[in-house]
Amino acid sequence: MAKDPLAEAGLHFDELNKLRVLEPEVGQKTTELKEECKDFVDKIGQFQKIVGGLIELVDELAKEAETEKMKAIGARNLLKSVAKQREAQQQQLQALIAEKQMQLERYRIEYEALSKVEAEQNEFIDQFILQK
Amino acid sequence: MAIHLLLLFCFNIHIQYKLLFPKQLVSCLGWTTADELYSCSEDHHILRWNLLTNETNLVVKLQEDLFPIDLHWLPKTVGGKKQAQAEIFVLTSTDGKFHLVSRVGRIEKTVDAHKGAVLAGRWNYDGTALITAGEDGQIKIWSKSGMLRSTLAQQGSPVYSVAWGPDSDRILYTSGRQLIIKPLQPSSKVLQWKAHDGIIVKVDWNPVNDLILSAGEDCKYKVWDSYGRLLYTSSSHDYPVTSISWSPDGEVFAVGSFNTLRLCDKTGWSYALEKPNTGSVFSLAWSADGTQLAGACGNGHVIFAHVVEQRWEWRSFEITLTKRRTMQVRNVVNDAVDILEFRDRVIKASLAHGHLVVTTSLQCYVYSAKNWNTPLIFDLKEGTVSLIVQAEKHFLLVDGAGLYVFSYEGRLISTPRFPGMRTDILNTQSVSLSNDSIAIRDKSDEKVIFLFDALTGKALGDGKPLTHKMEVVEIALDQCGPSSERKIAVIDKNRDLYLTSLRRLNKEHNVCKIGTMVHTMAWNDSANILCGIQDTQFTVWHYPSAVFTDKDLLPKTIYMKDASEFSRAPHILNYVGTKVTVRRGDGSLVYSSVSPYSTLLHEYSASSRWEDALRLCRFAKDLSLWACLAGMAMSNRELTTAEVAYAAIGEVDKVQYINSIKELPSKESSLAHILMFSGHVQEAEATLLQAGLIYQAIQIHINLYNWDRALELAVKHKTHVDTVLAYRQKFLLDFGKKETNKRFLQYDEGVEVDWEKIQAKVEMELAKEREKAATASVKNSVAFRH
Repeated sequence: MAKDPLAEAGLHFDELNKLRVLEPEVGQKTTELKEECKDFVDKIGQFQKIVGGLIELVDELAKEAETEKMKAIGARNLLKSVAKQREAQQQQLQALIAEKQMQLERYRIEYEALSKVEAEQNEFIDQFILQK
Repeated sequence: MAIHLLLLFCFNIHIQYKLLFPKQLVSCLGWTTADELYSCSEDHHILRWNLLTNETNLVVKLQEDLFPIDLHWLPKTVGGKKQAQAEIFVLTSTDGKFHLVSRVGRIEKTVDAHKGAVLAGRWNYDGTALITAGEDGQIKIWSKSGMLRSTLAQQGSPVYSVAWGPDSDRILYTSGRQLIIKPLQPSSKVLQWKAHDGIIVKVDWNPVNDLILSAGEDCKYKVWDSYGRLLYTSSSHDYPVTSISWSPDGEVFAVGSFNTLRLCDKTGWSYALEKPNTGSVFSLAWSADGTQLAGACGNGHVIFAHVVEQRWEWRSFEITLTKRRTMQVRNVVNDAVDILEFRDRVIKASLAHGHLVVTTSLQCYVYSAKNWNTPLIFDLKEGTVSLIVQAEKHFLLVDGAGLYVFSYEGRLISTPRFPGMRTDILNTQSVSLSNDSIAIRDKSDEKVIFLFDALTGKALGDGKPLTHKMEVVEIALDQCGPSSERKIAVIDKNRDLYLTSLRRLNKEHNVCKIGTMVHTMAWNDSANILCGIQDTQFTVWHYPSAVFTDKDLLPKTIYMKDASEFSRAPHILNYVGTKVTVRRGDGSLVYSSVSPYSTLLHEYSASSRWEDALRLCRFAKDLSLWACLAGMAMSNRELTTAEVAYAAIGEVDKVQYINSIKELPSKESSLAHILMFSGHVQEAEATLLQAGLIYQAIQIHINLYNWDRALELAVKHKTHVDTVLAYRQKFLLDFGKKETNKRFLQYDEGVEVDWEKIQAKVEMELAKEREKAATASVKNSVAFRH
């Protein structure tokens, strides 16, 4: 191939006959590379966005899990204390029942005493009528 | 007197409201008036609670390092003068100081008192001294202005609580599980006993009933008398008992524990239980009128409660305090219900003798059982009435300043008073009222009973009080009959029952013992019949006055029955008609009926219907009834009836004596012999001498072998000396004795004994008497019934 004097001077013509400093091939490759690089950067950016979203999501989930965990612990404790509360309530109610029972016993004794008085009075009336 | 205490049937605590203001534990509180309370909490706030306006104000915020423990207002009655409201209180704190704080919350004085916290500070009842107890185990007495007077006691463990004795001359304090009563006088004996199985945290001592309360960490509360005898012990609670407090009148007390508030009778059994959500109740305080209760709670609440569902019964009426200002009257016979409304809170009420008396803070309402619609209302001067005692015709109100007798028409009849009178500690045991008299047991000397005419308020007789030989525990006046025969029944410290007449005919009170081991007693409301519980026997004295006419008759007039149905420590509440109401130690009411015949007999005797009385006795065929009739007839000098009655109970000797009295020629000598019958020799002699029947007077003494007096009379009146000497000689001869009496030896010499002459002289005397009586009887037959 005959040497192009221009090429020796480092000047080239492209297809559109424009004067170029770089070899057209190299130029083309450079452009390709540039475009590929741009593509790559875009893709990486996209990837980052996606991963960021994912992390956020996972974080949120973690938070939610944490609150649920706390809730569960609280509920468990509450359950335990409810049992205790019931026990206390039962104790209280039992004390009140015992009180009422004592009152009932007092009323029972009073009733018995009154019944006895009634019987005595009836007996007295009967006797009175009989003697008359 | 038990008549007044009509059936406090069932109390309930009604929790009015609680306010959540301080977030921190409330440590102490105290009432200023009946409606104003101060409370202190751990967050240094002093709050004032006004219950009339439902307002709560911050009085002051104390400095940060002051943590209050105990608060006590200076008593209102200082040196006999009444102040409208309390002006200053003592506040003890954890840093070993106590502070005198004024109403507005200014700290007037701060005194370094103890090492460690000052756990309790209490004024005495007249406000002249303050006692503090500390964590360091010391008890110190301070003057009113906060100057140290003395260190009364010292021990190795903290003193958690301290209380003054009724007369402010002793103190009660805790020492671990022990209770100690220490008199202020240094040389006096200290009383100490183990009271609980855990540390004792609170004590209280009531001045009215002289009973002690203790609350311990062994979850129990106990009631003691002031000799340290256990009267009641509660069952074990679920939590330690943290507070305990007497109501001012000593009828009930309140007990506080974790989420628990309890109202108990003074005998210990529980009226009501509430389970408020308050945490532990650390301190309890009653308002001065005893109607409201405040509690300092561990969760920062102040809890207010008041007593409702108090009940009174009289015959067919049943009255319940349903709300603070409302009463419900129910007639159980026809189920008619009336509602009584009051303007202010009901403080005291009493139902007896057909009238209901209700006092509020400002007024007194008097209802008649016949008409519940229109009460009689009058204003009260002083306010807080602490006691109402009723009699048939009038009633007695007791407040902090004095005693007032009012008629049921609302007219002030009298205001009895005596020197050194303390009205705040009077209760139904120490005051008794009848239609014409009032009896009050003295507090400073418990042997003394002051007697007053109810209509004038003046002291009875010569103004001297009745003095018993022992400390008197309970007094009761009989309710019926004429005022001249008014009698008082007295139970003394030995539990002996005595009966004596109020209007003394002669100078000495004739005090007769009619019972022993008598725990409780009550007079009937319509006849002078006394009932009581004697040891283990329920006893009815159908005619207690028999003891004045014929002592031997008394046991025959008594009706006894086994009292085991009343169980331990019964108390007779009243004796109305034929029904005796008894409150058992466990709080239940039991009734016992008494035969109605004796009441009837009392009626017949009062109206002198002796024929009817005899018929009744013949109908009832009851020996005790005959014995009563014998006594009644004899005291009314109704000899014919007495003769029949004595014959019926087989007292032949007495029948004979009565017969001999009936044959006596003159009324003076029969009167004298009736007096002799009752053993009143002196009166009999005086009667005869007054009538100029000197021989008969001498003869009385001869018959009694009362030789000295017989001779003395004979010599004094210069007659029948030989008669006396003759009888004496005959007596000596019969018994084979020699004359040793100097006076008889002396007269023996100068006088000659001639039996014929003496007999003639005696005949002459009797003839003279007959003659005199014959002339007198024409004049007096109208006046003299027989």
